[in-house]
Amino acid sequence: MTMFFQVAIDGLLMGMVYALVASGLSLIWGVMDVINFAHGEFLMVAMYVSYWLGFLMKVDPIVSWIASGIFCFILGAITYRLIIRQCLGGPALSALLATFGLSMILKNICLNRFSPNYRLLTGTLLDGKKILLGDLVVPLPQLITGLSALAIVLVIFYIIKKTRLGWAIQATAMDKEAAELMGIKTDWIFAFVFGLGGACVGIAGGLMPSYLAVHPEVGGLFSLIAFIAVAMGGFGSIHGALLAAIFIGLVEAFGGFYVAPVFKYVVVFGLYVIVVMFKPKGLFGW
Amino acid sequence: MKNFKKTFFVSMLVVFLLLGLFSGMATAEEKIIKIGTVFPLTGPCALAGARCKAAVETAAEVINNIYPDINVPLADQSGILDGYKIVLVHADHQGKPDVGKTETERLLNQEKVYAIIGSYNSSVSKPASFVTEIQKKIFMCGASSSAALTERDFKYFFRMAPTDKTESIGFAETLTWLNEAKNANLKTVGIIYENSEFGKHAADEGKAAAEAAGFEVIADVAFTPGATNLNSEVQTLKAKNPDAVFGACLGGDYSLWVRTMKQMNWLPKISLNYCSGYQDPIITQQLGDDANYFMGGTGYSPEFAELMPAVAAVEEIYKAKTDPSVPFDSDSIQEAVALFVLAQAIEKAGTLDTETVRDVLYANEWESPLSMGGKVAFIEGGQNVKAMSMKTQLQNGLYVRVFPPELATHEIVYPMVPWDKR
Repeated sequence: MTMFFQVAIDGLLMGMVYALVASGLSLIWGVMDVINFAHGEFLMVAMYVSYWLGFLMKVDPIVSWIASGIFCFILGAITYRLIIRQCLGGPALSALLATFGLSMILKNICLNRFSPNYRLLTGTLLDGKKILLGDLVVPLPQLITGLSALAIVLVIFYIIKKTRLGWAIQATAMDKEAAELMGIKTDWIFAFVFGLGGACVGIAGGLMPSYLAVHPEVGGLFSLIAFIAVAMGGFGSIHGALLAAIFIGLVEAFGGFYVAPVFKYVVVFGLYVIVVMFKPKGLFGW
Repeated sequence: MKNFKKTFFVSMLVVFLLLGLFSGMATAEEKIIKIGTVFPLTGPCALAGARCKAAVETAAEVINNIYPDINVPLADQSGILDGYKIVLVHADHQGKPDVGKTETERLLNQEKVYAIIGSYNSSVSKPASFVTEIQKKIFMCGASSSAALTERDFKYFFRMAPTDKTESIGFAETLTWLNEAKNANLKTVGIIYENSEFGKHAADEGKAAAEAAGFEVIADVAFTPGATNLNSEVQTLKAKNPDAVFGACLGGDYSLWVRTMKQMNWLPKISLNYCSGYQDPIITQQLGDDANYFMGGTGYSPEFAELMPAVAAVEEIYKAKTDPSVPFDSDSIQEAVALFVLAQAIEKAGTLDTETVRDVLYANEWESPLSMGGKVAFIEGGQNVKAMSMKTQLQNGLYVRVFPPELATHEIVYPMVPWDKR
């Protein structure tokens, strides 16, 4: 029974991280109908920001996630202004392919500038720390990352549902032209949303170097799982993405332990196929 | 104006034609041998690929120029076959077998390379060497370790490194020796490996060797390379709690595995690793104290300097080609050996005829100061029968020799020191 709870803890913590990565993606899709294929590379860039701050200036990831979040917010906003904005009037595929191109550019810049080396931050405040609950082990880096992720998703959820800014975002998502007639600066809202999506993944990436190696390919599988979480939760639904991501984390952990570790992602993708068969718009899609 | 345009167009045409003609003449007069390399220069194994590429470039530089102070064959002359220089043409297979096959075809058909060196990943070496075999071109494989590669009766495929089979037998011998000499009471083995050609073959060989030596394999844990976490994998190992673990984890997966074991507060009594993240000096440095007491098969490490004195001078050239500057590791040095042996064979054959060079490769034992044991010789299928490695253990960040006992410089630290006592 101990092992059951241990696997559940691992799955929950991983699910919370997936949730933060997925919520940014969901937000951008929900408001702009744009799938950001560079989302995984935003995560990778955020991890590099956190890593270099830790390596060069001895700033711990427990603090440097703020810088990673801000950096990715700016990166997201610039991406909108320079790339996405030009694509919005054209075919839907153009924005998607533009973000795909951006992902290639970011990955290859990092490969060229930082080399393919795996970079680890050691000696961080949380390095190797854990909470022991009897036989249960709760690794502190993952716990802090998971709880921070959950808190930030809830804050974003609050902003969207309860603030004037959030209402403006919702109005823009529902009907851009009507929102403009109401005096909402939709262009500004789009830039903000793209930045906010980047900030979500930036914060997640900023916290990760305390336990995960940084390298140019690190974002790949995270972004794939984030896509699954967004699709399973329902495109554009932040609470759907949150619940789906936590569900994915749990399924991955239990599938990995009770089926076979090599099948843990197979179980996740299999589950997604089943969900889509019965609910093509996702669990909370409309 | 019309006449000027016409004259300009005709003049440019003539210039281009002449340029093409003369460049063709220049190519015809150049004494070069184009060798293609196929390594993972991007993708999850890009770091290893970049080092392998640098190693082949190092060998080419030594062969093409005169280095009287370097004590390896061909270093004291400029080029081979009376002045032929090696020119490398690099290709990136991204760690993908289909890309590796296509790039090998491109190198052979468009770049017209004489032979191929590569491909680090066994999963890529397999299809890439099919292409060379069909086209009757030589494939010099440095580090791919899947035993299956040299069990295909290929005629043009040559591999320098020891296979996973050799390594696995060595691992089992190490465990048996620990039981006999140290009363270690090791009975069970677990295997963790990436779900790839390399990982699966390593695991199969590991299981076979462990069972043949009387150990019970109680955990078989495969994982997806580049996974977001290895929690389930380590939990599975922890639940089965094998005495020894054989690991086949590359690059970042290796560091994630080590760190996850630390977070889960679990270690086996002994951990032996195939060519993997264990051998990467940068990962070892970054893991710091966490890297210590893990073991593995090692074909080269700077700590072997007294056994392989000729390496140091070549290594200086290699270091200048890597960023950050690193010494050779067990994999990259084999790629340098591949080019040195091929160049020696061409020189000895006195011709670039592929059939003759292939026969010469098989017929001779080659001097190889960059190989442990100093020799390279091939048997049917292309395996280097002189390939060997030693079992090392990381102690204070250094790869120290611990097995076989007659070549050991340090006592093995057994069992591994628990995380909370480091």
